Amino acid sequence: MPLSIPTLRRCFEGAIPATIATCSQDGTPNVSYISEVHYVDRQHVALSFQFFSKTRPNVLENPRATVVVIHPDTGAQYKLAVRYLRTEDSGPLFECMKAKLAGLASHAGMTGVFKLRGSDVYRVESVTEVHGTPLAAPPPPEVDVTTLRACMARLSAAGDLASLLDALLDVLADPIGIEHAMVLMHDPAADRLYTVASRGYAQSGVGAEVRPGEGIIGAAAQARIPIRISHATSEFGYGRAMREAAERRGITGLEHEIPFPGLPESQSQIAVPILAGDRLLGVLFAESAAPGRFGYDEEDGFMVLASHVGAVAALLEEEPAAPARDEAHAGRAVAAPQGAPLRVRRYAENDSVFVDEEYLIKGVAGAILWRLLRAHAEDGRSDHTNRELRLDPSIRLPDLSENLEARLILLARRLEERCPSLRIEKTGRGRFRFHVLRPVTLAEIPR
Amino acid sequence: MTGGTDRADPLDARHAEFIQGPVSVIIASRNAELVADAVRGCGCRVSRDRRQVTVLVEAGRAVTLLEDVATNGMIAAVFSQPSTHQTIQLKGSDARVVRVTAADRVAVRQHLRAWSGDLERIGFDVRFAAALHGGTGELAAIRFTPAAAFQQTPGPAAGQPLKP
Repeated sequence: MPLSIPTLRRCFEGAIPATIATCSQDGTPNVSYISEVHYVDRQHVALSFQFFSKTRPNVLENPRATVVVIHPDTGAQYKLAVRYLRTEDSGPLFECMKAKLAGLASHAGMTGVFKLRGSDVYRVESVTEVHGTPLAAPPPPEVDVTTLRACMARLSAAGDLASLLDALLDVLADPIGIEHAMVLMHDPAADRLYTVASRGYAQSGVGAEVRPGEGIIGAAAQARIPIRISHATSEFGYGRAMREAAERRGITGLEHEIPFPGLPESQSQIAVPILAGDRLLGVLFAESAAPGRFGYDEEDGFMVLASHVGAVAALLEEEPAAPARDEAHAGRAVAAPQGAPLRVRRYAENDSVFVDEEYLIKGVAGAILWRLLRAHAEDGRSDHTNRELRLDPSIRLPDLSENLEARLILLARRLEERCPSLRIEKTGRGRFRFHVLRPVTLAEIPR
Repeated sequence: MTGGTDRADPLDARHAEFIQGPVSVIIASRNAELVADAVRGCGCRVSRDRRQVTVLVEAGRAVTLLEDVATNGMIAAVFSQPSTHQTIQLKGSDARVVRVTAADRVAVRQHLRAWSGDLERIGFDVRFAAALHGGTGELAAIRFTPAAAFQQTPGPAAGQPLKP
């Protein structure tokens, strides 16, 4: 294979620092280590600008330089003849490099010392291999195009959002072999992400929230780019970032937070945005106790799957108008509630719902649950359509593009985990049945 | 060149010992178009009076660098210990390619052992270290007088002149 920037991406994982040789206008050469060389595209790399060393003034007055990178498996060295173009100190490239550098700093014992001041973008003018005796190259990545094709076929077969997200987590587990993963959906009105599906955790964490900008998930959502960390870092550790952010906000009274699932011994993390056009639908997150688990190839695979999920999810959003099929369901008798009554309280202030003093859910999903309970209590109704919820002003769906289906998945899963006496059963596209297995007493706490 | 130690001062004993220890050696020069080139070295020797530094490279890896050094004598050499990140940079303008001695060959073998040991401590395989190190082919030696020395350990002091 001819040498090119894409074939050298393994050299850019930061396992071994690269070096850059520059020269001042007066002819004095300089060499510096670079913590992070980042693959931008086939013609460009970005280097981490961390310290005001001699490299800085040199490239500003004389942009031509040589970067030497090392293959972390073979020890082969490659020379990149580069030309400095510009420095970015905000935006997607910067955010991506900042997160990665935080992981590298943690691994090197340099947390607090390695700080990204800017992403220096260089055009690569040529690549040459340095004469040497490298070790044999490792086997190619496990996830090849054939595997990816099979995964995408399984995603395309999903009939609704819930099965699409389940299929995504299923294919990640097998054949891809990623055991700890979750999907968070974006709530644009409240500007937060909420967990709707997860795999491999003791607690599912369904309903746990992250705000854009918080931790690796929030950073991926905010910048709409894939973000990877190869070694545990306190700076971007989502658990700590989330906890601290929650503390800063001051959790009081009704602001209940569902604990975030996560591997306590997590070393490698990846978060990629799920986009439908330019709309952020959510974030796919995975982690591993093994360091360096997610490389550029895995990032490519995640992005392919996430963009397919985004496209399929957007198609599934286009619900048929109140379908009149599934008469069998509609005609089927609903079992009468039995046993001790459930005491359900709803706080109008934030639509949070408590069942027998236990916090269950809040926000739009809380408002939907309250509406279903009232319809059951007042009219004995069990069968509902998405359309009817969409049109109901009491639910306060922020706008029409709001993903109602994702709220129903969240509600159904929270009920399954926390309140099995109430159950949502899908009865067709855009239709579902609300089962109430125990008598319910309702109490509304006004604002 | 500005900001380095006085030209008259040799390296102090501690720095001389450091650059001859288990450190990664990276050597750079530049051509007539002011384009710098860098090559990984495979050892270093300091003269008894600590005024002259000889860095050793595998000749096959350093064809351009050796030409540049022979043409203009400009050199920058960085010495960095992988396990501690302690790093210094020396610069000179009188670099020249000199004959390789038996003592240089010994220094290269000793350097490989010491440096591989340091890399092993931070999780790298000795075979990997050997592949990266080089020095098994024909060697070349570059001698220069350090005219400036800089602290380059990552941190706020990076780029400052070296203090004894």
